[in-house]
Amino acid sequence: MKPRAPWHPWGMLGPTLALLVVFFVVPIGVAAYESLFAWDMLTPPRFVGAENYRALAAHGQLLHVALRTLGYSVLVVTGTMSLGLGLALLLDRPGRFFGFVRASVFSAYVVSWVAVALLWMWMLDGNAGVLGRVARALGAGPLSLLGDPRWAMPALALVGVWKLTGYAMVVFLAGLQGVPRSLIEAAALDGAGAWSRFRHVTLPLLMPTAAFVATTSLVTSFQAFDVVRIMTQGGPARSTELFVYAIYEQIFLNLSVGRASALTVVFFALLLAVAALQLRVWRARSGSER
Amino acid sequence: MAQARRPREGASPRRLAYRGRVITRRDALRGLAASLAVGCGRRARPERRDGRVVVTFWYAYGDLVRKVMLDLVARFNASQPRVLVEAVHQGDYYECLAKLRTALAAGAAPTLSHVVCEIVPYLERAGVLEHLGAYEGAGELPFVPALAQAGAYAGGAEQPLVAIPFNRSTPIAFANARMLEEARVAPPSTWDDLVAAARALTRRAANGEVRWGFEVPISWWYWVAMVGQAGGRLVDPDGRMTLGGDAGEKAIRFWQRLVHDEHVMRPPPGRDYQAWQSSNESFLQGRIAMMWSSTAFVRYLEDNARFPVVAAPLPRDLRASVPTGGTMFVVMRSAPDEEKQAAWEFVRWMSDAEQTITWSTRTGYMPVTRPAVERLIERGWYGKHPNDRVAYDQLAAADPWPWVPELFRIERDVVEPRLEDAVLTGRDARALMDEARDEAGRPA
Repeated sequence: MKPRAPWHPWGMLGPTLALLVVFFVVPIGVAAYESLFAWDMLTPPRFVGAENYRALAAHGQLLHVALRTLGYSVLVVTGTMSLGLGLALLLDRPGRFFGFVRASVFSAYVVSWVAVALLWMWMLDGNAGVLGRVARALGAGPLSLLGDPRWAMPALALVGVWKLTGYAMVVFLAGLQGVPRSLIEAAALDGAGAWSRFRHVTLPLLMPTAAFVATTSLVTSFQAFDVVRIMTQGGPARSTELFVYAIYEQIFLNLSVGRASALTVVFFALLLAVAALQLRVWRARSGSER
Repeated sequence: MAQARRPREGASPRRLAYRGRVITRRDALRGLAASLAVGCGRRARPERRDGRVVVTFWYAYGDLVRKVMLDLVARFNASQPRVLVEAVHQGDYYECLAKLRTALAAGAAPTLSHVVCEIVPYLERAGVLEHLGAYEGAGELPFVPALAQAGAYAGGAEQPLVAIPFNRSTPIAFANARMLEEARVAPPSTWDDLVAAARALTRRAANGEVRWGFEVPISWWYWVAMVGQAGGRLVDPDGRMTLGGDAGEKAIRFWQRLVHDEHVMRPPPGRDYQAWQSSNESFLQGRIAMMWSSTAFVRYLEDNARFPVVAAPLPRDLRASVPTGGTMFVVMRSAPDEEKQAAWEFVRWMSDAEQTITWSTRTGYMPVTRPAVERLIERGWYGKHPNDRVAYDQLAAADPWPWVPELFRIERDVVEPRLEDAVLTGRDARALMDEARDEAGRPA
């Protein structure tokens, strides 16, 4: 389609472009500038060059935050996608019972993160929680997942998976409606078993849906804040300090605008790299399938 | 709003009409900028309600302490017609402080708040605190020296008066008297005694359940106490932030020994007050025999325990030492003068002996003035409440905080996360403290 005037496309893109510039490009530019200063908002800023980046990198803090955030995202995205897909395949059946189970699984998604975090804190409490009681009944002694630096992060990821699985399931269910019955029946007539039908017919047709679920789950997992703030405050021993929480802690608790800005810039770069990688993988995959 | 002007000939016709006046877009923007500038700057006029000056007071208590404080605020408001104190809850100490600092930066701070001791030097350097020395009666308030600014900070007397003691405390040891009796152990008075007592009090059931001999939140406040007990100081005489030197490492190793070698201590889950709350609950449920906590919890623990609670001074290593804790009243310099004067009236009223006694006896915080202590002695309070006496007597071992503006950042960003790291993962204490000293010297 050819525009009537050369400026028409820009005119239509203009409002969105302006919003992007004002709310995304300019703040990132401001953060990059402020990351070069030591500033607490109450006393005058002091130019320190790359010292904020050096300080964050000096004892591995930056690397650890980045790895923890990536690790959390990998756990949440893989857990959410596999459970969501599994449940969608199991529950893609007519009947009130299946409808009830579908609604139950999805209900976790509509509950606020704060309520979910409080609920799971109680469940995972080593003394009074369900998990603690079960562990004691089984003779395993006290079990405090949130108090153990090795287990606190997987425990938070478990909460994330529990919350997001319902969403993934619903999207996969919608995707399954788009898989033509005739193809599955044809494969069955050709002698394909249940696994082969899923592997060679259903799964390839679900790939665009899977890409969508992966992208949205990834975005949500990178934004994790409420669950960390309420359940662990980044502890124990910083084992659950994810990027967004680390930025919050630097700016609001330590009032260190420079450090928080430096973290923001690195976080932005990391997100950019992950998004580019994801796009490249999906493009390559969809290209090979054509 | 600025006076509306006639638009220039040929100028853009984009304009608004308001009550018959034509307002150009430029005027509207100018007006908006002026409003924002006023909003972000210092308020010139005080807030008034029913003819009374309103003092907005941001506070950070929950439960019993909150109730006692609100009762006192209501009493003050009913006692005079000039000032109305409006108390606004802002979460725990650290949440309240985060909001206060952000509000200060945004020019929207309250008149009065209360802050932890470690942040006062920083806020003073930032120039946001009102100097209270010239206010009526400021020099005559008969505070307990260790709890007032002059005694709570090394060199605090040479600084302008900016902080008035409010809810002050020290760390203290609590023990389940029944468990002590069963195990035939006395409250420990040295670190070695503590290890021996914790060993004797720890019980392991067949199903793996453990009753821990000892528990303490892995937190800066208790670490500072142990640094002092091990003979160290956070800042050396030349003003360098040494974080206790060898004593800082010794304190961490002692914790590591209790957790990993002796297996007699469980670090409580959670951070900050979550960990404190967890320790208190475990203590009340009989899951731990001894713990270190704050004198602020004396009343809460005594009232809620189904066993006799006995308090003891923290054990000594090379010497006895405790830091002081709790908070100080601070008045914001940005508030209008009348509000600051009204806030001072409230602070003075709170420092009167009767209010101090009410506050102290109902919560467990220290009585901050000498007349209050004398009246409590006269009334036989300490005879009936020996745990309160222990807390008061321990003040003799209180060490002042250094007046260092970076102290709070060093606490929160440098030391506290490394303490958890050292105790929970068993990392080398020397390496961690070297890291901490390096980090403490960097700008942030």
